[in-house]
Amino acid sequence: MSATRAERRLLEKARRLRIEIGMLEAARELQIEKAAAKKAARSAERARAAGRELAEKSFEKLGADEIRRAITEKRLREENERYAALRKEILLSGYLLSDKDNEALADAHTARLERIRENTAAELSELSNPAQGQLPIPTVDEPEETSSAEAIRARFDEQISQARKRLREVERRLESGAASTERTELEEGLVLSVKELKMYFGGVKAVDGLSFDVREGEIFGLIGPNGAGKTTVFNCITQFYKPTGGKLLFRGRENEVLDLTKEKVHDVILHGIVRTFQNVEVVPELTVLENLLIAGHRQYSSGIAASALHLPKLRREEEIIRRKAEKVLQFMGLTAFSGAYAFGLPYGILKKIEIARTLMCSPRLIILDEPAAGLNDAETAELASLIRRIRDEYRCTILLVEHDMGLVMDVCDRICAISFGKLLAFGTPEEIQTDPNVQQAYLGVEEDDDGTA
Amino acid sequence: MDIKQEYLSAAYPESAKKAAGGNVRAVFANPLAQIALVGVVLALVQFLALGGMISSAFAYALGNTLIYAIVAIGFCLLLGYSGLASLGTAGFIGLGSYVAFYLIEGMGAPYYVALFVTLAVSIALGVIVGFISLRIEGIYLAIMTLALAEIIRSLLMVLKATIKININNIVLFGVNVNEKAVYLLITATFIILMALTSNLIRSPVGRAMLAMKDSTSAAQAMGISLMKYRLLAFVISTIYAAMGGLLYMMYVRNMTTATSTLLTLSTSLNILGAVIIGGAKSLWGTTFGTFIIYGLQSMFLSKIRFFVENPAFITMITGLLIIVVVMFFPGGFAQMLSSLRLWLRRKRVERRIRDYVGNES
Repeated sequence: MSATRAERRLLEKARRLRIEIGMLEAARELQIEKAAAKKAARSAERARAAGRELAEKSFEKLGADEIRRAITEKRLREENERYAALRKEILLSGYLLSDKDNEALADAHTARLERIRENTAAELSELSNPAQGQLPIPTVDEPEETSSAEAIRARFDEQISQARKRLREVERRLESGAASTERTELEEGLVLSVKELKMYFGGVKAVDGLSFDVREGEIFGLIGPNGAGKTTVFNCITQFYKPTGGKLLFRGRENEVLDLTKEKVHDVILHGIVRTFQNVEVVPELTVLENLLIAGHRQYSSGIAASALHLPKLRREEEIIRRKAEKVLQFMGLTAFSGAYAFGLPYGILKKIEIARTLMCSPRLIILDEPAAGLNDAETAELASLIRRIRDEYRCTILLVEHDMGLVMDVCDRICAISFGKLLAFGTPEEIQTDPNVQQAYLGVEEDDDGTA
Repeated sequence: MDIKQEYLSAAYPESAKKAAGGNVRAVFANPLAQIALVGVVLALVQFLALGGMISSAFAYALGNTLIYAIVAIGFCLLLGYSGLASLGTAGFIGLGSYVAFYLIEGMGAPYYVALFVTLAVSIALGVIVGFISLRIEGIYLAIMTLALAEIIRSLLMVLKATIKININNIVLFGVNVNEKAVYLLITATFIILMALTSNLIRSPVGRAMLAMKDSTSAAQAMGISLMKYRLLAFVISTIYAAMGGLLYMMYVRNMTTATSTLLTLSTSLNILGAVIIGGAKSLWGTTFGTFIIYGLQSMFLSKIRFFVENPAFITMITGLLIIVVVMFFPGGFAQMLSSLRLWLRRKRVERRIRDYVGNES
């Protein structure tokens, strides 16, 4: 039933090799991208220099409108940059901006832009240039450059193919040993199956024989009155608690079926199961970006020695994961906060950071524990669309526990209602809303109207 | 500006130039450059002392303080980054110095063998304490390490009623080293360990430790193994302590278990005090804290007659300092400094906002 020690060691080895291969591939792409960017920058610089030379020579032929446009744009751009820099500094320094100052600042900015437009127009009203006139686009000779992408690819591919070979070897050995271990089955299309889950704390039966299935790619809600055992179920799935009984089957990245109860709590993330916490657990003394890097912790293949010496391998991986984090921040609309320390940021932002962290590890199942708690109505509405966006963009399954019925009924495809650790009802939001058992559990026994509320 | 020139720079803007080479500020923003600079200054002190420009007593006291600073950096990683409390530092130091002494004087082993055995012993000790830390946390862990340190002390006493360390000549790589050469060795060790630690805290390892300190459950959910990083934190701290012990033995050359205060609780508490008043999350803060606790007396106050005549006042001053710092700045001097910086930054922001709005109206 359980994997033997040798098999576990092989699995661990395969996992490490996969990370290494992934890292090498990412490093290769990054280097190619950088080389291409460098090349593009060089050619843009040549075009710029040629254009400038031409314009300098035949400035008199240039149209006045074009001059006005370019100069005005430049001055406006500079002003906008100044304003953005000030805004950023206000954010990063944690300066408390009063509403009055905020408004004054925005007004001052608009006024400054307006004045720039007026002044520039006045200043440039009397140009001796003709009204219209375009300069020809100068021709630039591109020097022959040897394709650096090929060289980079060749350099990395050698290493990658070697790592692949080792991985195949490990996989072959795993396969030959596989016959001895019994395989657990999970129905096609399901990502998680909770079977007869039991979690007892002494005499307290927090979860008692609960079963439900979660389909691949759905948003699944788990609801129930206070103390129903919702968070306990989550803690069992993520292995914070070892269940007293029952099975937790999960479909892993390689389409393999895992019995989660055999995984260590800190290894669950490797299979793409990530969670948030009811009370936000963000590291306050790190910046927002660094908080995301923590979630990418298991994607580093460099060890302690590489960390202590800051070896090139670590620096390369750090750059790759940093880029990934920046992309996630962009997706979440948090780019402005990237360099800000998490300490003292508004609660809504912290909640977003927590969700952003789950996106760092190519998630397969995201578990959200009361994501709407403490958010106002507008923020909750934004959260609903965010949850959908995450599911569509990252093609993952989302499991959420929530008290806010509006949110649950809005975003969930299917809902499981539990009470005292037992299944109460299961179905679509409409089915749950009209279910008499649910109404009774939530509203008490005297409930007797038609229950369309 | 000339319209032609402005047009040219508007229509064909130069790409943002990189800061011109030799930007001194940027170089010294690099933590490793800062560490190297401090290393040069520390080494210079000894050479100045040799030249008679600084009293050799001052240089000797500085070396002594640096030994404790080495221990304190390891403790900083343990307390400030991993959030693990320990009161067993004295035991960790003592074990290192006495094991090395036994090997060198008792068995005639060469120094590098002694170094490796000492490291092996301290790693084993760190692993043991690390495993215990998985079961016990907080104040209970502190008490447990205190007990462990007492056991080590008693054990060393039992083995030989009074171990007397008395070394006259130390030969390293065929060269007879005196105290002044050991001072340079201490400086080098301090700088190397400082650089390694600084790298470590700015790497996934340091971030994992911080995550673990703030919330063990969130850290685990993000794939951080508590066992791995708790063991690592304890192993690093015991290794640094043992290195401190080894250097102490080579530097002081004269101590007995019966009279030396090195192995007593006061050492553990002093290191804890140094880390707390310096700032448990800052390596420089921790170093500064060590200077306050150990260096203030031996390097500066010992020259003032009043304090020489009334040594009790020195302890009172340090005690008072700890109370004041902990009351107002729980993050130590490092926090004091960073709060000041933040305050200045906000003042600057305020001025910039006023300028921006004011110029307009």
